[in-house]
Amino acid sequence: LNKIIQISLIIVFITVLFSFSIYAQDSTDSFEQPILITSIGQSSGAMMGKVLAAKSGLSYVYDQRAGIEALDNAKTLIVVLGVSSKGLGAAGVDIEAEIKWASELFDRAGERGIPIIAMHIEGSVRRGSLSNRISELFGSRADYLIVKSAGNEDGLFTNMAEANNIPISTVDATLDVVSILKNIFNIK
Amino acid sequence: MKKSIKQGYSSKKGYQVAILLGFIFTTTVFAADPVQHDIRQGEGVTRTTTLSEYFPALTGTPGDTTVYIMDSGIEGGTLLLLGGTHANEIAGVIAAVIAVEKGIVSSGRIIVIPHTNNSASRHNQGTFNPGSPQWIELKNSAGETRRFLYGDRYTQPEDQAVDPEIFIHNPSGMEFKGAEARNLNRNHPGKADGTLTQQISYALFQLVEKEEVDVLIDMHEASVTSRLAFTLVAHPRALEIAAMAKMDLEMNDINMTLEVSSDKFHGLSHREFGDHSNVLAFLTETPNPGMEKSIEHPDVINDPDNPLNMRLQVVLKSILAILDNYKIMNDQKKAITIGFPFPLSDLKNTNPGEFLR
Repeated sequence: LNKIIQISLIIVFITVLFSFSIYAQDSTDSFEQPILITSIGQSSGAMMGKVLAAKSGLSYVYDQRAGIEALDNAKTLIVVLGVSSKGLGAAGVDIEAEIKWASELFDRAGERGIPIIAMHIEGSVRRGSLSNRISELFGSRADYLIVKSAGNEDGLFTNMAEANNIPISTVDATLDVVSILKNIFNIK
Repeated sequence: MKKSIKQGYSSKKGYQVAILLGFIFTTTVFAADPVQHDIRQGEGVTRTTTLSEYFPALTGTPGDTTVYIMDSGIEGGTLLLLGGTHANEIAGVIAAVIAVEKGIVSSGRIIVIPHTNNSASRHNQGTFNPGSPQWIELKNSAGETRRFLYGDRYTQPEDQAVDPEIFIHNPSGMEFKGAEARNLNRNHPGKADGTLTQQISYALFQLVEKEEVDVLIDMHEASVTSRLAFTLVAHPRALEIAAMAKMDLEMNDINMTLEVSSDKFHGLSHREFGDHSNVLAFLTETPNPGMEKSIEHPDVINDPDNPLNMRLQVVLKSILAILDNYKIMNDQKKAITIGFPFPLSDLKNTNPGEFLR
């Protein structure tokens, strides 16, 4: 009987220890606020990102095409990936200028140790060649990927996550992003 | 050239005949009554008027059209719902008719214009598809056949001056091909002393101002293969509400692409009403097989992939999603609420005529 009690205690001890280590890891990996939300590709997805952040109760600043200095007050950068030709036109830039600007933004975030969450939440409509180019360039440099499954049918993002060891969450409905944001920002 | 002029108009009598014919032609065109439609107003309609009330120069022209006002009598905002800006884009026309015939407004006001370009509704020139119909027929729940004109994208050519070679949008100066002079959705914000199409637009702007409209939804359709099919477009000031509406629609298995108005492309309702008035402007696009050139005999009602009932469900649910989120983003005192005596999900599997009177 003693042996059974000993084994049970060991199992309980291991379980508690394991649970604690998961909790500790979650806490360590939590992203911090305030957040800067911007678009790479100038589609309307960044506005959806803003709405999702608001629904998650996060503290954020939304700027469709943020200046590099906007990172000064941010502790996390959320970029929403997706190219809209109209959006680029409205911003008065072409795809090369957009890539140059986004590279500078990512570099500055790296210098300041600001983690980056990349979202692709507009589905297949933002899987054209220009959107793919943006996604491959900047999704692969993110610290976390949040992707709508309709935009990942060919596994572009899951493969990217695996190849670059990036945590990824996929959602079927855009509003499901809210629970993911709450989780990774540790919002109760 | 000189010779032909001399031959044609050499005598005084010839001139008189030509002037007389010209006068008869002109008065015939401009004295034409606006087209009348079979729309049976429901209990939600509290007043009907015409667009010319807001711009008297339209009186008696083919551009005048009926305006239905649905006032809840309860404090709230005002929605202007436009169908038939392009008269061949019938999901918007029929959605507007359903609103007039069956809608019940419980807060604020809804102003509905089912045939916004009434001249365009008169005849289908087959602009997109020569095989598209002149009429559609829908059987109501009493078994009665309701007929609706399937019109055209453009103001009828006989209703305004010959198309210019290049149409220059007022006031941006943007250039379009000549026929776009008759495209209402390239003519906003219109012009009081302009063409009939410009005057229709001008009248709409007068209405928006006089009625203090808060939200405008212009219901359109696109070819089934167009990137615009299933799109919700919003003016930048309305984009946040559109993003919220888009996500709500997704929970109802309606996937709309969200687009923002380009500031480089002028004449469109969402751009110009947003820029030149206080309204939050939206535009919906559903896929109409009648606008696809490769379909020889399109069935604009019962197409297996894009039937009218599905398109109506998308449009009507989009309206509700926009209004729900408008209410969230604004004071409750600005709420605009419309309901129907049937669940909109019923539209998915039912003949759309069942939802008419």
